[in-house]
Amino acid sequence: MADASVVTDAELIARSVVGDDRHAFTELVRRHQSSVRACLRRLTTGNHALADDLAQETFILAWRNLKAFRQEARFSTWLYRIATNCWLAHSRKRKEELLGDREESVAENSDEAADAADAGNDEVSRAAALKLDLTRAMRLLTDAERAAIVQCYDNDLSHEEAAYVLGCPVGTVKTHIHRAKQKLKAAMSAWDGSTR
Amino acid sequence: MIDEPRPNSDAEPGDDWLDRALRANRAEDYIPDDGFSARVMAALPAPAALPAWRKHVLALLWAIAGIAIAFSLPGVVTEVARGVFRLVSASPVSLSGMVMAVVAMTIVTWTATAVVLRRE
Repeated sequence: MADASVVTDAELIARSVVGDDRHAFTELVRRHQSSVRACLRRLTTGNHALADDLAQETFILAWRNLKAFRQEARFSTWLYRIATNCWLAHSRKRKEELLGDREESVAENSDEAADAADAGNDEVSRAAALKLDLTRAMRLLTDAERAAIVQCYDNDLSHEEAAYVLGCPVGTVKTHIHRAKQKLKAAMSAWDGSTR
Repeated sequence: MIDEPRPNSDAEPGDDWLDRALRANRAEDYIPDDGFSARVMAALPAPAALPAWRKHVLALLWAIAGIAIAFSLPGVVTEVARGVFRLVSASPVSLSGMVMAVVAMTIVTWTATAVVLRRE
């Protein structure tokens, strides 16, 4: 176990590509499965089963395209890129229900959650309510906006890295984030005063 | 190579609470593997029977073995060659037959090459 942690991702990738070493790739999967699955859970707004299916697809695609990985980004960033593309492809196939219905329900839920948090005055339940509300509000965003928020906030990537993951210019990432935050603020307006 | 992640400056006046909420939301525990890696590895395509370079080495080894046998048993090789020649010369061979044979051999060779390249 100690030896495996010493080996870098680059070495494991080289072993996987040159020697067709599946044990090396298994180690890469073990190292990155948590972050990739967490990223996809955010993108799918909490659909764990779908997130895991997409994560599996991500690693299979990574294995097939490992020779094409030129180390121009970190391996984890490259995986995020594949994962995001998998999710976008899946999302295009299955468009969810109308935006208007969601806006209404989220706004209502937001008020209820904020009121409940205020009334209870319990920090834990308040944080849980805010988290739940945020997850719901994330569903209002377009795919590109949600992906930009997830990459920059959840995965803690820089704008440049997020642009690499999303395959768009840095300015577009900033625009997506700005619009996403406007929508989130509008949907979660009940929290605006109560969280200060 | 992209450097280490840098903090983004997306915060605008008045949305501190949203920034804090978004950053707090990301703090999620490590997701345990629970057989996920094993499922991924089981779903990977089957490994190729032989890496590409080994095929060339094997072909070379067989060629060397064939030449070695031919040199160690010269009598047998010439006898077989004569026998084949007698067999061919005894049967009438037309020009069109020879052309057909050459075409058939070419097709077989190119098909085999295409199959090998596709597999690789």
